[in-house]
Amino acid sequence: MSRAAPGPEDRHAQNRGTDSGGTATGCAEAVVTPPRPAGRALAALAALAGLRAPVVWILLAIAFFTSISGKPVDGVLMLIVAVGLAWDAGRRALRHPETGEATARTDRLPGRRRRVVVITLVVAGVVYAGVVGSFSRYSWPATAGIIGLSTGVVLIGWHRPVRARPDGGRLPVAGTLAWIVVLVAGCLWELSSLYLQPSLTTDSYAHPTISTLTDPLLATSPGRMLVLFAWVAFGWYLVDR
Amino acid sequence: MTWHAVTIAGYLLVVAGIVVLQLLATKTRVPVPTFGELLSRAMRSRTGRVGVLVAWAWIGLHFFAR
Repeated sequence: MSRAAPGPEDRHAQNRGTDSGGTATGCAEAVVTPPRPAGRALAALAALAGLRAPVVWILLAIAFFTSISGKPVDGVLMLIVAVGLAWDAGRRALRHPETGEATARTDRLPGRRRRVVVITLVVAGVVYAGVVGSFSRYSWPATAGIIGLSTGVVLIGWHRPVRARPDGGRLPVAGTLAWIVVLVAGCLWELSSLYLQPSLTTDSYAHPTISTLTDPLLATSPGRMLVLFAWVAFGWYLVDR
Repeated sequence: MTWHAVTIAGYLLVVAGIVVLQLLATKTRVPVPTFGELLSRAMRSRTGRVGVLVAWAWIGLHFFAR
């Protein structure tokens, strides 16, 4: 029975102790299941609750800046993930605020099996980098290859980690702050170079962004393959965290 | 010194900062987490995990996708 829109029986069932016969089952269900707001209101409430996650705001900011920089596809994809994550985080917070993270899928594989998996993934990564890197940048085939792999990796990591890792406990505050300062400084430096260009879509020699600096490397097919393989390897490293 | 050189120097400074912090974390007893530990901590929650993976996806999209 659908729970999204309560039917006459459900509404009736909430008047516990005043009914009998055919609604008895509904009565029992109503006792264990608290009444919920209507589906649409719940979805809106969930999305708003999910906005408490800072990651959602960061993704929204990325979506905005990417879109106005002439990359609408990136912007739309980031927006979809931000909204999906906000809705998902809010839904979980509203329904099961006490629920922790889902457990990991697998523990570390045994030695020999892990070697086989590693070799297979390296070969797959080389083939992927070779094929996608052979297409010119910003072409539709390259776009499809990047979106396909990205979607797969994000979906794999969405529900739970790939493998269990020991809880490392609290990180040292000062050391963590040092990392945050360096990484945020890098992002701000890149952003300032972007805004010091003549326009957001016109490169500047005086204020090159990382994209501008990597253009010569990515203009060649071997360069693209190399960078793509590094990108795939880093993605694998992240999924394995 | 030209603005071009200043901009490049800024990027190199950030890279140097990353290398120094990683070396401090792995080669000394200074209480600095490694980059991997930082990522693991950030990816402990679902929003953190998805956020980091999307950041990775964005890099690929930014450099190669239309």
